[in-house]
Amino acid sequence: MKSWQKLGLALTLSSALLSACSPEAVNNSSGGGSGEILIGVQTPTTGSSAKMGEDMNNAIKMATEEINEKGGIDGKKIKLEFADDACDPQTATAAANKLVSQGVKAVIGFYCSGATLPSSGIYHNAGVPVMVTAASSAKIPAQGYKEVFLTTATTDQQSEAAAEYMLKTLGGKRVAIVHDNTAFAKGLAETTQTAVQKQGGQVVAFEAINPEEKDFTAMLTQLKAQKPDATFWTAYYAAGGLLIKQFEQLGVSGAIGVGDGSNDKTLIEIAGKEAAEDAFVITSPTAEFIPEAKSFIDTYKSKFNMEPGPYTAVSYDGMRLLADAIKRAGSDDKAAIVKALSETKSFKTFGGDVSFKSDGTLEKSNFIVLKVKNGQFTRE
Amino acid sequence: MEMFTQQMINALIIGSFYALIALGYSMVYGIIKLLNFAHGDLYMVGAFVGFAVLSLFGGGTGLLGVVVAFFAALLFGGLLGIGIERVAYRPLLSSPRLTILITAVGVSLVLENGVMKSFGPSFKVYPVQLPTEGFQIFGATLTYAQILIILLSVLLMTALHLFVTRSLYGKAMRAISIDHAATSLMGIPVTRIISLTFFIGSSLAAASGMMAGMYYGQISFMMGFIVGLKAFTAAVIGGIGSIPGAMLGGLVLGLLESFGTVWLGSEWKDVFAFSILILILVLKPTGLLGENVTERM
Repeated sequence: MKSWQKLGLALTLSSALLSACSPEAVNNSSGGGSGEILIGVQTPTTGSSAKMGEDMNNAIKMATEEINEKGGIDGKKIKLEFADDACDPQTATAAANKLVSQGVKAVIGFYCSGATLPSSGIYHNAGVPVMVTAASSAKIPAQGYKEVFLTTATTDQQSEAAAEYMLKTLGGKRVAIVHDNTAFAKGLAETTQTAVQKQGGQVVAFEAINPEEKDFTAMLTQLKAQKPDATFWTAYYAAGGLLIKQFEQLGVSGAIGVGDGSNDKTLIEIAGKEAAEDAFVITSPTAEFIPEAKSFIDTYKSKFNMEPGPYTAVSYDGMRLLADAIKRAGSDDKAAIVKALSETKSFKTFGGDVSFKSDGTLEKSNFIVLKVKNGQFTRE
Repeated sequence: MEMFTQQMINALIIGSFYALIALGYSMVYGIIKLLNFAHGDLYMVGAFVGFAVLSLFGGGTGLLGVVVAFFAALLFGGLLGIGIERVAYRPLLSSPRLTILITAVGVSLVLENGVMKSFGPSFKVYPVQLPTEGFQIFGATLTYAQILIILLSVLLMTALHLFVTRSLYGKAMRAISIDHAATSLMGIPVTRIISLTFFIGSSLAAASGMMAGMYYGQISFMMGFIVGLKAFTAAVIGGIGSIPGAMLGGLVLGLLESFGTVWLGSEWKDVFAFSILILILVLKPTGLLGENVTERM
């Protein structure tokens, strides 16, 4: 651990040195009329979350092209620089150092909280503004970095929404929570436990499974004996689908639902249409459930020839917001962009008006509840 | 009682998968003293071959498609096993054990990343899945698919046991495991028998991969890693090199995991199962059925 920290420090220092020399050149050249603003994009484009990363990259590219077509920001074009964090903390550190040393003025993206946490420290040290458009662990704002802004509501807010749905809407009392021991899912499980207890419910089971395995029946049999009214899975869709399938097969009581990490149609495919029926999803608003996003979806489909994934709309909005802040800052100075971002007031996005609290999180949570009906997600 | 029965059923299913893969580990170790770490990945390859064949048949795959896919997985897995042995292990048979062990790790990585590049990194949903209907027995749920899995495993294991103990080829295998050189002096084609061993072990793993795909319904290029590790553990518990030991080891590990969950909670099940493993090995280093040297193969 110690040596790892030292290595991290050394990397950070060396990158800080690098970034101290290289960006000057960029600055000088951008002083002229032909300047560009370099913005980094950090997403996972390999590994198990690769699809999410591709989705986000597409949405960010789309927003950037639209901004550039309209003349860019005060005549300067945005240039994107992509870095893959593979949803892995070590790769993420390398990706962050790469982007910082290339002299990016801001970074956007971030799908996995586990990868976002270590890299946000590197950006913080270099003073680079960070726009997080998918990762939502409450640990990210808790670090207290003033450069970091989240356009998705945090796990704290998601926990509140989940607890409220299970206790008030479903009228449940006994809640079971299952996670997979990853940073994001365990955090969400813990905050949900607190939220359920605070709202007067009872957590009858708090379990973890190994997502690399496929058989969760032993754990589910234990769960069944507790007779839960609602079961909440906080991790990702691949194991979530199996969990729902085996949950129904064993006939565990009550409803089963998932957090926004499992918001993917593959969840229903893996679970099977019958087993997934009536499962609920607590999620940030995705494009297909926002009436105003219709034209966004059409353009996205015709451009990339696929359905927009769950984090495309937020990423698209995040890029627009970032460009807006750079415009408001009046320069591409990093500190000025950070200041402009923190002063964002009611910026119009698909998910609602965005203003930031002092810790960089959304002032107003925007979670919605989806339910599976006939093999489709439908809005409650 | 209801809980106990249900956990026994759960254990039996997990144990069957472990046992089928453990058999291949044990056979290969018995005959050339190699821990074939690529073995778990043959389970994964089997699942993907089944996936490819079933996808080829399209949506309306009947029983015929499933049977064809099953034998395609079996055959392809077996031939791949022979190929791996020929290319990666046979040239190294006389080098130190460590060299060939590292080669096995390399083969494992080649298979994982090869499948990732050809099928993509995301999870695949199996085109045909076993139905989840079943009936109640002592208050526990037992599905027809589970009965099928248990029956098929027992069938494959019995067939293998009879083959090794009764047939001439089986006799040759057992002879090689006792003394390589002497067997070859008797005029037995040692390399051919080793190939045969790889074929049988690998096809069993591939077949169980296909079964797992249809039963659980979701596959990925990394699915062989944990299962391979667990199956290796099962082989060691049972006594590596012993065929009945591999079967027993699979069941014991399945039971340990299920009842570890019951007694200590799901987060502790691996801690529990592997503590027992250490205990078994300290008290009986040869594993549960490992002492009977003449029965090794």
